[in-house]
Amino acid sequence: MTHVDTSSRPIRRTLLQMIFLSCGAVLAITTTTFLGYDLLTFRQASIQQLQTLSEAIASNSTAALAFENPDDAAVVLGAFKADPHIVAAALYDAQGKMFATYPRDLAAGRAPAQPGTAGYQFTHLRLLGFQPVTTGSRQLGMLYVESDLDAVYQRLQLYALIALVVAALSFLVAWLISRQLQHRLLVPIHALTDTARAVSDRNDYTVRAVRTGTREFDLLTDTFNHMLTQIQRSEHKLHAQLARLGLLQHITRAIEDRQDLQSIYQVVLVSLEENLLVDFCCILLHEPASRTLTVGRMGASSRYHADALALTDALAVPVDESGLSKCLAGELVYEPDVGKVALALPRRFSAAGLHSMVMAPLIVRNEVSGVLVCARKAADAFSSSDCEFLRQLSEHVALASHQIRLYGDLHQAYEDLRQSQVAILQQERLRALGQMASGIAHDINNAISPVSLFTEALLEREAGLSDRARGYLTTILGAIDDVARTVSRMREFYREREPQVTLAPVQLNDLVPQVLNLTRPRWSDQPQQRGTVIELQTALAPDLPDVMGADNEIRDALTNLVFNAVDAMPTGGILTVRTAAVSRHPDTTSVMIEVGDTGVGMDEDTRRRCLEPFYTTKGERGTGLGLAMVYGMIQRHSAELEIESTVGKGTTMRLIFAASSASITDSAGTARTPLPARPLRILLVDDDPMLIKSLQETLQDDGHIITATSNGLAGLEAFRTALQGDAPIDLVVTDLGMPHMDGRKVAAAIKALSRSTPVILLTGWGQRLIAENDAPAHVDKVISKPPRLSELRAAFAELKP
Amino acid sequence: MAPVNRISRFLLSCLLAGLLAPGIHAAGVAATENQVKAVFVYNFSHFVDWPAGAFATPTEPFVIGVIGSDAFAAQLEEVVRGERVNNHTLLVQRFHDADAIRPCHILFIDQSGGAQLERILAQLKGRSTLTVSDLDGASQRGVMMQFARADNRIRLRINVESAREAGLTISSNLLRPAEIVRTSSRE
Repeated sequence: MTHVDTSSRPIRRTLLQMIFLSCGAVLAITTTTFLGYDLLTFRQASIQQLQTLSEAIASNSTAALAFENPDDAAVVLGAFKADPHIVAAALYDAQGKMFATYPRDLAAGRAPAQPGTAGYQFTHLRLLGFQPVTTGSRQLGMLYVESDLDAVYQRLQLYALIALVVAALSFLVAWLISRQLQHRLLVPIHALTDTARAVSDRNDYTVRAVRTGTREFDLLTDTFNHMLTQIQRSEHKLHAQLARLGLLQHITRAIEDRQDLQSIYQVVLVSLEENLLVDFCCILLHEPASRTLTVGRMGASSRYHADALALTDALAVPVDESGLSKCLAGELVYEPDVGKVALALPRRFSAAGLHSMVMAPLIVRNEVSGVLVCARKAADAFSSSDCEFLRQLSEHVALASHQIRLYGDLHQAYEDLRQSQVAILQQERLRALGQMASGIAHDINNAISPVSLFTEALLEREAGLSDRARGYLTTILGAIDDVARTVSRMREFYREREPQVTLAPVQLNDLVPQVLNLTRPRWSDQPQQRGTVIELQTALAPDLPDVMGADNEIRDALTNLVFNAVDAMPTGGILTVRTAAVSRHPDTTSVMIEVGDTGVGMDEDTRRRCLEPFYTTKGERGTGLGLAMVYGMIQRHSAELEIESTVGKGTTMRLIFAASSASITDSAGTARTPLPARPLRILLVDDDPMLIKSLQETLQDDGHIITATSNGLAGLEAFRTALQGDAPIDLVVTDLGMPHMDGRKVAAAIKALSRSTPVILLTGWGQRLIAENDAPAHVDKVISKPPRLSELRAAFAELKP
Repeated sequence: MAPVNRISRFLLSCLLAGLLAPGIHAAGVAATENQVKAVFVYNFSHFVDWPAGAFATPTEPFVIGVIGSDAFAAQLEEVVRGERVNNHTLLVQRFHDADAIRPCHILFIDQSGGAQLERILAQLKGRSTLTVSDLDGASQRGVMMQFARADNRIRLRINVESAREAGLTISSNLLRPAEIVRTSSRE
């Protein structure tokens, strides 16, 4: 500190003043007391002296007085000459008359004319006294003595001189002593000042003031040094704290730059190893469900200890054995000496030579997601600031991991949203396609209905047909059925799946050839054109139990699997289709069918995502819907799907169904064409003239009386007319989709007129209506287009027996 | 000096002055030679020490004898009335001749006694009696104290030898201003 307050005085001067003042005060008091005392005693002594002298003179002058000898009296008084301070004296006789004087020529009036009373007193500047002159008891006269006070004044002067000399000497001695004392006082003060300056100028807290041997100053010095030690310690702590903060910031920065948990853990652990110099550190992840801890990540250098600790990346430690229960309750746990803890995990640390460990919980929203474990070889090696640092770090890590999880969730949600958007777009496109397909299917169904009806009629009624003609017609009928099925499948393509499929016993062995035949172009013809060979191997188990399912769905699924298998083998390979009865559970029998290839296989990510809708590895060629459809089928059938795949080795997709317990009921026999029913009066309502014509002619051939109308209103009118006449309509067959009044309304109106008259609805959407079981009210039977004569006959027989 | 002491001294001096005043004053106004001499004689009692055997008892009066005129004796009686010497009352006795002299401490012999002086002195031989006389040359003749007139003043002539022979001690105060004489003819 260079600034010095000008109003402050140096301690040297203060000390000097103190000593001089006290010394002066002592001197003044002493001198005054002594002077007073001495003056008093001196006055008394003076009186005493004067009295003695006077008494002597008086005694000597008795004879002079007694015998009236003034000369002799004068001689006697002359003895006063011995005392130069006696300025006047007089002798009075018994009558009070002045008898003699001293000096002999004393001026008249200088001495009192009459003697006063005996005694001595100080008057102004004089000491006066009357001494009786007696002999025996007789008073012969009185002696008057007057002394000046020069003696007193001289004495006073002498005293003043002595006092001055003493004072001067005292002050000199005091000054010398104070110099000595100053030295003794100022040396330690200066030493302290120099030390303090050294500390404040250089921030060097290692300097220490030196003891000087004075108790108070030594106490001060010790206190000062102690303070310096404290400051030094605090400074050290502060620096350590700053370093920790810096480290924390460094780690936090590093965490910020990273987006995945593993690399964050890596950064944290490496930083701890390098900067906090821990011998071992790892992050244990907490699985609340199984109450276990798994090693999330281990520091690079810590792996050295990992073997001794028997900790591997995948190892799961039960919480109860870990000694971390307290930590998992949210507390930072510090074990200064793990050897004293009886639990398994600390024991392991102790055995691995790590004697002190800190376990900091990673807490997010009151949940412990993991534990940061740090350990050092030495016991009690973690300071409280270490623990505090680890606590803060663990909070940062927990927050970061939480954020990353949130970020992942967000990313996932965004991805899902995007997928959904794509899916919706796709679905929208499919719906438009489907609607278009549905329209086309309707038209095609309408168009092929006459073909189907007439072909059937020809086959049944024309007796003179040659075998060839009969063969052609049969083929036409089959082709019509194929067209109808194809159209039906086209509609299926977009239709929303019903929640519950109508399950029937399905023999998987029967499906396999169908599927292989359908897909032959893909696994046989096309590869051959490219010059590659796909070998087919089938292994179908005999006596395979049926499964409950929808055969078309299973067929579609298998078709998809075969397509995928073929696509996975661009350079050829072996396509395997296998069926087998397996026993998955003791009680139940399951049926397995698998499609395998020896193709490229799938990696982990692909395998995980392959069932997602619109996920494809085929680029533009794939829709990403194949396996999704398969998976949907599996779900609806409560079946299981197993995927085995190795990159470069191939993929095997395995479908496992529960075996059907129902006995095999073959319904194929019902396909035989029934005989025509009894003749009925039938009202036909359809806006398609071709259909009306073919239906009318075919049904008339069966002996029915047909009233054909081209729209709902006309149909109703004809029905009402017939109802009022003597020949009412027995049965109504109406188309569903018609302008102005559709089939539902027609049916309702008919039922309103005659409740007992059956109504059959013909529809290009018929199959859907049946499947969805939503036949409109007032309709007794729905028959899909193209109507088969056999179906119509069966319906008539059922409704009008 | 305590005030009480000072006051008592003052009162004492006043008393003394009151007691002494009538006689002294009367004598002072017309101080006759006899008066002075009487006072001097009385004063001797204070300046001379008598030996221990001079008084038979402590209460024995101090006797001043007079040989001579009655007037002086009367004067002397006047002077000593009420006075004491060392607790001894004073008594003046007149003796007409030498044979009549009885033991006394001071004996004044006036000028009329010049003729029988030697007889008187012989009579007093061996006694501690201070002899006083105003007779000229008396001291040379053996009288211890002699009044001598000089410059209109009465001076003392003292025969120390005679006094010593009589066992008397004379104060040096008295001796200093006095004229010391010796017995001129010693037989």
